[in-house]
Amino acid sequence: MKYTDEQLSTRAKEAFDESVEKLDASTLSKLNRSRHKALAELAHPARHQWLRWMPATGIAAAVLVAVMIMQSPSGVEDVIAPANVTDMEILLGEDSIEMLEDLEFYSWLDLAELETDNDVG
Amino acid sequence: MDVNTAVFAVSCSGTSTTGTRALQKERQLNQFLAGVERRALRIAEIAVRDRDEALDLVQDAMIKLVRNYSGRGKEEWTPLFYRILQNGVRDWHRRQAVRNRVIVWFGRKPKDDNDYDPVAAAPDPIGRAPDEELQNSEAMNSLETAVHGLPARQREAFMLRTFEGLDVAGTAVAMGCSQGSVKTHYSRAVHALRAELQEHWPGEDGSKEGGR
Repeated sequence: MKYTDEQLSTRAKEAFDESVEKLDASTLSKLNRSRHKALAELAHPARHQWLRWMPATGIAAAVLVAVMIMQSPSGVEDVIAPANVTDMEILLGEDSIEMLEDLEFYSWLDLAELETDNDVG
Repeated sequence: MDVNTAVFAVSCSGTSTTGTRALQKERQLNQFLAGVERRALRIAEIAVRDRDEALDLVQDAMIKLVRNYSGRGKEEWTPLFYRILQNGVRDWHRRQAVRNRVIVWFGRKPKDDNDYDPVAAAPDPIGRAPDEELQNSEAMNSLETAVHGLPARQREAFMLRTFEGLDVAGTAVAMGCSQGSVKTHYSRAVHALRAELQEHWPGEDGSKEGGR
């Protein structure tokens, strides 16, 4: 005898249904607990709302960091580094510190010179 | 009746209606899940060949359905539930593949699917003659092995159509593909199973199924 497609499906369905009927009490109990745990979600729907955004937020943050790293030109560090070195030289040099302390004076001096030039002109 | 009393009465009435709806929804979901959970467990178990893992997958599917789709019409729940479950099964297989690669990398032997012993995992027989029980158990074991050996999409189509009894449209929703694809996957699955099971499933006259 050769089964048709329909007969094979029917036989498979019968065997499957029988295996479902034979599930043991322990498994049925676990299923029952799972169902009640799922239904408890109805009572506390908002509890996990923020968790839903966690994967998206994580991915967005990772993408942002990746884009920043990729977009960052290699020359930026070269430009910043001398500036930082210059800052350090200014801060560490004794003369420069004195100049910085008198910055208001030099500004006033520049302004005064400009006004004098205007008066003369 | 003063104004405050009237407002309180209307408020109570509204709360009562909302509460009744919530209870009704919970009752419907409970009924749906209770009706589908056993078959879903066996379908997941055949796909992953591990009952505990299958229980976890079914529980996750239940929670996601209640959390995300409880507001949908109950006629939509079956395909949606199985779609969630099938996605879970696919994710499980992906994780297993990665885990096996890592285990191989560290020089351990990955867990072989063939280590699964359906006879050992089978529940105790209930109220059947031993020879009948053995015959049916062997038939199911060979079916499980054959179904598990199918390509994933064919396996999904066969189990949803045959075991769960979903129609083509429902199976398409559950699998996230077209109805034409469902028909193709299902047809290929049945042909493959027929070739695979002919050695294990005797015909009604006691002969082997195929080859005649």
